[in-house]
Amino acid sequence: MRDRRAFLKTSLTAGAFAASGLTLPGLLRGARAAEGPLVIGAPLPISGAFAANGKYASLGAAFAAQEAGSVLGRKVSIADIDTEGKPAPAARKVQEAMGQGTRLFAGGILSSEALVMGKEVTKGDGVFITTAGADEITGSDCNRGTFRWTVPTFGAIAQTVRPLIAQMPQAKRWYTITPQYVFGEGLLTAAKAVFQEKGVEHVGNSYHSLAEKEFSGYLTNAIAAKPDVLLLLNFGSQSSDALRQAVSFGLKKRMTIVLAWASGLEQFEALGADLCEGVYFGAQYWHGIDSPLNKALVAKVRETAKMTPNYSFAGSYQITRLLLDAAAKAGAADGPAVIKALEGLRYSGLTGEEEIRAADHQVIKDYYLLKGKAKSAMKDKDDFADVIQSGKSFLSPEAAGCKMA
Amino acid sequence: MIPLLDRPLVQFGLAVAVVLILPVTMRSGTLASEILIFGLAVAACNLLLGYTGLLSFGQGIFFGLGSYVAGLGLVRAGLPAPVVLLLALGGGALVAAAVGWVSIRRQGVYFVMLTLAFSQMFYFLAYTFSGLTGGDNGLLDIPRPRLGGTVLSGPWTYYAFVAVLFLALFAALQRVALSTFGRTLLAIRDNEARAGAIGYPVRAFKVAAFAISGAVTAFAGALHAMLIGVAPLSNIDYHTSETLLIMTIIGGTANLFASLLGAGAYLLAADALSAIWPRWLLLLGLLLIVITLFLQRGLWGLIERAVALVTRAPPPDDPAPDRPVAAAAREGDR
Repeated sequence: MRDRRAFLKTSLTAGAFAASGLTLPGLLRGARAAEGPLVIGAPLPISGAFAANGKYASLGAAFAAQEAGSVLGRKVSIADIDTEGKPAPAARKVQEAMGQGTRLFAGGILSSEALVMGKEVTKGDGVFITTAGADEITGSDCNRGTFRWTVPTFGAIAQTVRPLIAQMPQAKRWYTITPQYVFGEGLLTAAKAVFQEKGVEHVGNSYHSLAEKEFSGYLTNAIAAKPDVLLLLNFGSQSSDALRQAVSFGLKKRMTIVLAWASGLEQFEALGADLCEGVYFGAQYWHGIDSPLNKALVAKVRETAKMTPNYSFAGSYQITRLLLDAAAKAGAADGPAVIKALEGLRYSGLTGEEEIRAADHQVIKDYYLLKGKAKSAMKDKDDFADVIQSGKSFLSPEAAGCKMA
Repeated sequence: MIPLLDRPLVQFGLAVAVVLILPVTMRSGTLASEILIFGLAVAACNLLLGYTGLLSFGQGIFFGLGSYVAGLGLVRAGLPAPVVLLLALGGGALVAAAVGWVSIRRQGVYFVMLTLAFSQMFYFLAYTFSGLTGGDNGLLDIPRPRLGGTVLSGPWTYYAFVAVLFLALFAALQRVALSTFGRTLLAIRDNEARAGAIGYPVRAFKVAAFAISGAVTAFAGALHAMLIGVAPLSNIDYHTSETLLIMTIIGGTANLFASLLGAGAYLLAADALSAIWPRWLLLLGLLLIVITLFLQRGLWGLIERAVALVTRAPPPDDPAPDRPVAAAAREGDR
């Protein structure tokens, strides 16, 4: 693994140097005297249960840094910080990095670690931008130093459940399986609101714990409720396990299965095309997105590293790039200046035109509805799904509960 | 005669030396503080494992409880930090006494399973009552304590605060271990039936050991929450108990300073190795296997051997391989 990672990093580095077509706008290369490297902290779960995501995210951040080369006359370097996927080491290590002078951070895949890191970075007048999912990050726990690229639960449901209800008017009975914690509750609340609005019957819900691996009991309950659609509101390995077991129970033939918050290409690779065929997936990013930046990124990463950027890679690439763009725009790399530059920033991002809302620091971007395709229809090894629908749906900052200090 | 390294003043002197050396040798005040905080929690775990022979998976309950008391006391109730720390101490003692009172009714594997069950139960309580604990997101915005109107926000100023409390509690634990009470715990560990036959109320002693251990662990949990600004759900998870036990075994169950050694070695190794290799826990597993097979007195045993080599004193014997780790602590034999 270490060898593969080293190989990928080397390849990406070489590729990024050659990526003249991806040059960041506004970077003042070599315009100033060198002041030492501009360090971007990348607090990611490099070890532990989420190490696979951390590995790709680390590669994405490194790619963005190498592509930029230098900003404000300073060579950009990435300092990987292993959060171990836990809030306590995450908070401690971010404190340490700040003690060593780092003020710009891009990372935090898990909600619990992202929330605490955002608070720590803000206390030290730094900037933290994340791809974590918890609504609170730009909702009730929003703060001056924290930004979030990912679409919150409201938008994820709006861009998956709504279009499917429109597409399948005959599907009137929906069943949900939900992880019982804040993230799952957020998705469930949003889904219930859409069901009520659209006159869809919510025929049942099964809660499961954060540690659950066995879903057969919940799936049996779902079968008994005779739904037209099974909506899975868990994520990561739990959603993969639930989907695997649902398919082995034969549910794909009896009902439509929707996974509202998929992890992207890495999840498709783990599940395989046969299992994903005909299943709907909600996604923050897909390598097939038709935007100039995404096309260029996919082409360059494929060329240099012989891989296709997945969500962890692309998300990390995008948020690192945002920090560098903002520092270049601000003409300074200190926290308050970068925050000011990020607030209200409109830019051409991986998902097309994106904007950072100043009131809650939420990036306004598209969320995607994908449909798994048959293995025989795949054009290449990563062509697991078609993009059915995409769009932007967000609560207002007030409705999301953000009171920016 | 007590060997030089095991003398109380030498042990305390070593603890003071570590407290003074850490700021000189380490760049990170946060990591240094964490070493002392976990050193306290591991010493408390050692009181149960090394001195009483109780392999408890419940230590995470008390550590997590202390974190939540700190969070609720400082954030929700606005109490001063000293009051919060005292509440953590008292709350930890009470909950530990209750857990201990039930768990010690069974011995061996059933005792271990009971502490594991309590651990899971408290984890799910914290997970379920998310309005109180913050659930999976944790209890956020826990402030650093104030001292004379100054917030201890700097890593080394907070370290100094932790260091003073660490030394005070370390000395207190030493007093406990050296007291008649502590000696009785050793007697219970070595031969519970004989201790009972002599007339010692074995259960009461075990519950008291639990209470003292729980109090100190909760105190450490509160300090940890103030250090990182959050009371995370993971602090009350059974993995925390597991980590504390691993630290205890790595350091050695022979004495209290070994606990500081175990905490320091684990945290420093985790910090260094995790940056090098994502699967660093495999190395930790290997280390545990080596210690269990060949170094049952942990790192402290290694130091004892080194000192014995230099002074040409007879090296301390490792316990017989078939003896459980809990029974391997040998201080009482001396």
